[in-house]
Amino acid sequence: MMNIDIKKQTRVIKENLFSSPVSTLLTFITSYIMISFFRGMFGFATAPDKDWLSVLNNMQLYMVQAYPESDFIRIWICVGLGFIFSGLSVGLWETEEKTSLSKLCLTFSKIVSGIIFLTIIAPTTSVVVSTATGIREQVDVFSYAERIPLLSILLGLLVVFFLISKINLSFNKSLLVSIYLLVPIILLWIMKIPTIQLDADNQRVFPDPLMPIANSTKIPWTLIWISFVVAYLVGVYFKNKKQFKNAVSISWVLLPLLIFSWIFKKPLIDLNELIRNDIPVFIGFLLIGVLTIYFINNKIVEKFYSYYLGLLVVVTIASLFLKVILLVKAALLLLLLFSVIIPAVSTSAKGKRSLTIVWVVSLTTTAFLLEGGTSTTQIVVPGSSIFGGFSLTWLLAIFGTYVSFPLGVLLALGRNSSLPIIKGVCTGIIELVRSVPYITWLFFASVTMAVFLPDGVEFNLIVRVLIVTAFFSGAYFAENIRGGLQSIPKGQFEAADAIGMNTVQKTSLIVLPQALRAIVPTLVSSIITSFKDSSLVTIIGLFDFLTIGRMVIGNQSIPINFIGHDRENLLFIAFVYWVFTFTLSRRSMKFEKRLGLGER
Amino acid sequence: MSIIEAKDVKKWFGDFQALKGISMEIQEGEVLVVCGPSGSGKSTFIRCINRLEQHQEGSIIVDGIELTNDIKNIEAIRSEVGMVFQSFNLFPHLTVLQNITLAPTWVRKKSKSDSEQKAMELLERVGIPEQANKFPGQLSGGQQQRVAIARALAMEPKIMLFDEPTSALDPEMIKEVLDVMKELAKSGMTMIVVTHEMGFAKEVADRVMLFDDGLMVEENTPNEFFDNPKNDRTKLFLSQIL
Amino acid sequence: MVKLLSKIGAFFRNVVVLKWAVQFIFLGGLIAIIFNYLNIAVGNLANTNIAFSWGFLGETPGVSIAEGLYTLPKSGLQMLQTGMLNMLRITVTGIVAATFFGTILGIARLSNNYIVEKTATSLLEVVRNVPLLVQILFFQALILSLPRLEVYDVGSVLFHASSKGVALSWPNRQDGAWMFMLYFLITLYISNRVYKQRVKLLEEQGRETKPFLWSLLTLVILFAIGWYGGYRIVGIIGFVSGFISQGLEVLPGIFYQILLSVLAGYLSFISVRKQINSKRSGELQGKYSDDDYFKMIITIVIAIVFIALMFAPIGQGISKFLVGDELTFKSDWGLPQFFGGISNALDWSITGVPYELNMAEIEQVGTTKFKKYSTEVGKSLTVGYFATWLGVVIYTAIFISEIVRAGIMAVSKGQSEAGLSLGLRRSSLLRLIVLPQAVRIMLPPMGNQYLNLAKNTSLGIAVGFPEVVAVGQTLYNQEGQTLPVFLIWMIFFSTVSLTLSSIVNYYNRKLKIVER
Repeated sequence: MMNIDIKKQTRVIKENLFSSPVSTLLTFITSYIMISFFRGMFGFATAPDKDWLSVLNNMQLYMVQAYPESDFIRIWICVGLGFIFSGLSVGLWETEEKTSLSKLCLTFSKIVSGIIFLTIIAPTTSVVVSTATGIREQVDVFSYAERIPLLSILLGLLVVFFLISKINLSFNKSLLVSIYLLVPIILLWIMKIPTIQLDADNQRVFPDPLMPIANSTKIPWTLIWISFVVAYLVGVYFKNKKQFKNAVSISWVLLPLLIFSWIFKKPLIDLNELIRNDIPVFIGFLLIGVLTIYFINNKIVEKFYSYYLGLLVVVTIASLFLKVILLVKAALLLLLLFSVIIPAVSTSAKGKRSLTIVWVVSLTTTAFLLEGGTSTTQIVVPGSSIFGGFSLTWLLAIFGTYVSFPLGVLLALGRNSSLPIIKGVCTGIIELVRSVPYITWLFFASVTMAVFLPDGVEFNLIVRVLIVTAFFSGAYFAENIRGGLQSIPKGQFEAADAIGMNTVQKTSLIVLPQALRAIVPTLVSSIITSFKDSSLVTIIGLFDFLTIGRMVIGNQSIPINFIGHDRENLLFIAFVYWVFTFTLSRRSMKFEKRLGLGER
Repeated sequence: MSIIEAKDVKKWFGDFQALKGISMEIQEGEVLVVCGPSGSGKSTFIRCINRLEQHQEGSIIVDGIELTNDIKNIEAIRSEVGMVFQSFNLFPHLTVLQNITLAPTWVRKKSKSDSEQKAMELLERVGIPEQANKFPGQLSGGQQQRVAIARALAMEPKIMLFDEPTSALDPEMIKEVLDVMKELAKSGMTMIVVTHEMGFAKEVADRVMLFDDGLMVEENTPNEFFDNPKNDRTKLFLSQIL
Repeated sequence: MVKLLSKIGAFFRNVVVLKWAVQFIFLGGLIAIIFNYLNIAVGNLANTNIAFSWGFLGETPGVSIAEGLYTLPKSGLQMLQTGMLNMLRITVTGIVAATFFGTILGIARLSNNYIVEKTATSLLEVVRNVPLLVQILFFQALILSLPRLEVYDVGSVLFHASSKGVALSWPNRQDGAWMFMLYFLITLYISNRVYKQRVKLLEEQGRETKPFLWSLLTLVILFAIGWYGGYRIVGIIGFVSGFISQGLEVLPGIFYQILLSVLAGYLSFISVRKQINSKRSGELQGKYSDDDYFKMIITIVIAIVFIALMFAPIGQGISKFLVGDELTFKSDWGLPQFFGGISNALDWSITGVPYELNMAEIEQVGTTKFKKYSTEVGKSLTVGYFATWLGVVIYTAIFISEIVRAGIMAVSKGQSEAGLSLGLRRSSLLRLIVLPQAVRIMLPPMGNQYLNLAKNTSLGIAVGFPEVVAVGQTLYNQEGQTLPVFLIWMIFFSTVSLTLSSIVNYYNRKLKIVER
């Protein structure tokens, strides 16, 4: 039995690695390159002249820049919400894949064997070249004496895994996610690292005993982990509730808005304004909507409804150019949207009731988010913006997508239109925007845009960046969506024509739902691009994640003396970007597969 | 009074003239089968009747309304003329029931419950009420085509156009679609059917027409058409197809 | 009265009327918005005392550029020109390198060899998921952490890297290099013709004619002749362009204005005539749809606007530019200068080998203690250039590898099997069956990647590489003219994009014809 297995293994190895002389040569060359690369990287990372501490000690700056510590609870709530909804989604959507303990142990032993191999081939010394003198110096990095305890632990683990793999036990794969997440949480409590302090002579000293890593964050992280697991279990419990799933999906879209307008921002609400302007406007629109829903079947209302719609369109468009408070504009847009669908849906009592609920909820949400979004913040920070570091990167990535998506849809529809002027203009905009690199648009936002703004109107740089991002990503989105539009067979349009639909109905009921479904994969890759592209704002001087990484050394060199280069920080930044984009793209691949299964 | 009246209809695609002057009259309740080789303009002609294609010369009057550029006329005619396509053209992102109720709710502004009730009746009529909540992709070709017929009927049209409804179907599925169409014809619906199913033509049609090269070359009762064709072109066509 | 009303109603319900009404309302609104913002801009600019002007193009900016054609530019135009050339340098070499590495990586990802495939895939996953800017900054940091150049001795080296950049041995251009390059292109063309001729013979007479050997032989012989002085034959072109240059210098600016106007008029005339001709014959005579009319009117309107512009100040500016009026922008751009430049570069009195292989050299800067890499011999790459180049090349190569992989995989296995069953050898199979089909699939996305590469070079600004965006930024910081600089960027990048995409489209079309 064993014999055959070995034979099979050798055959597989021979086929995969040594099938021909060329292949054998390639195997050796590539292996050599990879091993030298690993040894080089290892030596590079562990050499004593690397200041990885500068990364750890500046973590707070990296994440939120100057956000005041007294309000950190808000940030933890934001992160916690993200985790709770992730947990819910994993619980709700993950398929019930079972995995067995022996299979798991096999994976783990593969990983441990890999680590053992790497530990053995790791270099003992590393070369450090002095920048000032050019002298090359051999330094010890990982002696064999240090290696032996590690290796024995790893070998022990291997034996343990082998023994456990005999137990016959299977459990849900999704549960693994929470167990995986537990590992870093435990590490937070156990691992200890030196935090730097200064003595009387401004010299670096490490306090004794060493503090646990991230002393201030371990409790929040643990709480977040617990809520993640709870959310996961809740998600599993409600797995078959379709409404719950829909609610979570919508929450995903609204969550960033809520976070950035209320939780992160800590808005200062002017009660006078609220009572004098916002509440009356809100109640007024609420009543208009509800009344329309209930009296739509009245003969007189029905007769004048089309005139009312026309008037609404004119008023809405006019309001966009007039100086009225934002709430009015948003509520008008929402009302217009609702008024178009009211006649079709509110024909029965049940339809009326559900439409009323949707109307009240959506108007309330809009008003609530706008209230937070438009008011000033209570948080006092040095510098112009409460967003900085990773929070700014996320802000740009998420809102870049939010604002560019609708614009992209409009541009794509325009470019696909049969009306020559509209088609020409949309094509022109798309091509013009795409022909120039993003960075020049950022410069446009930072220096040129001010010229085009009327007197007295001033936008924050972040807002201006978001405006150009809307156009830039919008143009790229438009091209993706156009691909989706072109994938719709002509017969679909004809069928819609034949049953007497007008252009608006055709577009919103037939064309867009199909086109958007066709482009979900490219949509995720656009979000990833948006996330990566947000790093460019460092060039126009916004304090995003990357900027902080380039700044911390210069700013702190005097007392703490982080001499050296940005290599460590840049590697850390690259790693963080990589983790996020890699996970996102993998998730989207899974999602895409699931879509493909459910559809046809 | 005739329900469709076409006079000297001409149509060009770029340099190519697809219709070279078609004139015909169809009475209410009549079933007309149009046949002819591919590229003869038969599909183009029936697509002109509900303005999927725009004819450039001549006139088409449907139920007293002339097809002009007036958007009101176009909408009126489209809601009176139902159409069934060769490639079904069901909306893949909607369920069978939603496919059928879409037009009544949005175009005719009927209540949802009414249109759903009507849709179920229609599905009973075409024989697949159990498939109501499936997606088109999960149905066989024959079932899809029957849904497409139900979708067109949901608008309560006065005239039904069939553009080669069985050409994309496997042989065993053709019968189920033809049965539905026969039932429809017996109920007194005005129908224009573009098809190569000569058996259907013999059994159901009131009149049969042959199109060739953008012209109508023969128009006759089915018996005369098949047994005693006047035109040489018809003889040739029949010898090829039978 | 009622009749009239219903008639008006019918008029507004007409689909053609509706169609055009919607479009004209849209266009009107758009023009109104643009006009509104332009008005605001003019007002704002007047308030800040920086009126919109192109004057800065002619003024001496008084700054130096780290590398490029003019390191001490005499005018804004020269400065931008330097930036543009730097950008093009990276773009062209980058495209070649990225295609090369990308193809290798793509094939490696299809390899049966487990290690090779996994290595290539992990490289892809790393590079694709990290922002390009971070990568470029990292390469810069890596170079900057090398020892200072001052710690090394003066002298020749094969290859050298320090915090000042990288230097390599390089075949340096000599006086005759431009002529030789042109000569070499002609040689390539000739050998290509020889190959085709031999293949034709093979097909006609059915005997082995060894086309590849023949064309290679031609190439080698012609190359050898050219290397030892034969390239001077190209001097004829220089001689002719010298005459053209002299001839052009006597022409007044108005000549160019008229020439361009006539050209525009002629083009619009041709296009309108084509439209009319397509409906002239047969039954279609005079049957124009509203779209046809629209196209004709637009063509004529564009031509009229263009001609009008030609005689407006902007047209005079263009003609001055073409004349090469030194006083306007202190530049040597202009048709006479262009031909003059050609005649200088292709002068048949030049002798000597066109290229000379040199080692890189470390030099003392004057009498100071500072050192630099020689710019005369060998090739020295500054930190900015090196980091930007490496960044964009690796990043683009990764995306190209995906395209290559997808392209080859898209050519179905059946195709290869069909080829093999015909008795083709593996090499011929790849060349005759797989590659032509794969390239056809690969070309359009490849073109997109080339465009991305061209645009990504603008990230050089973050590492101090003076490409066109960085140079433009310096320029508007000096002069305050942000809007014109932005327009120049736009025109430049659009031109590059258009050129690249038309090259790709040309090959695309050529391959499509081959396919049928």
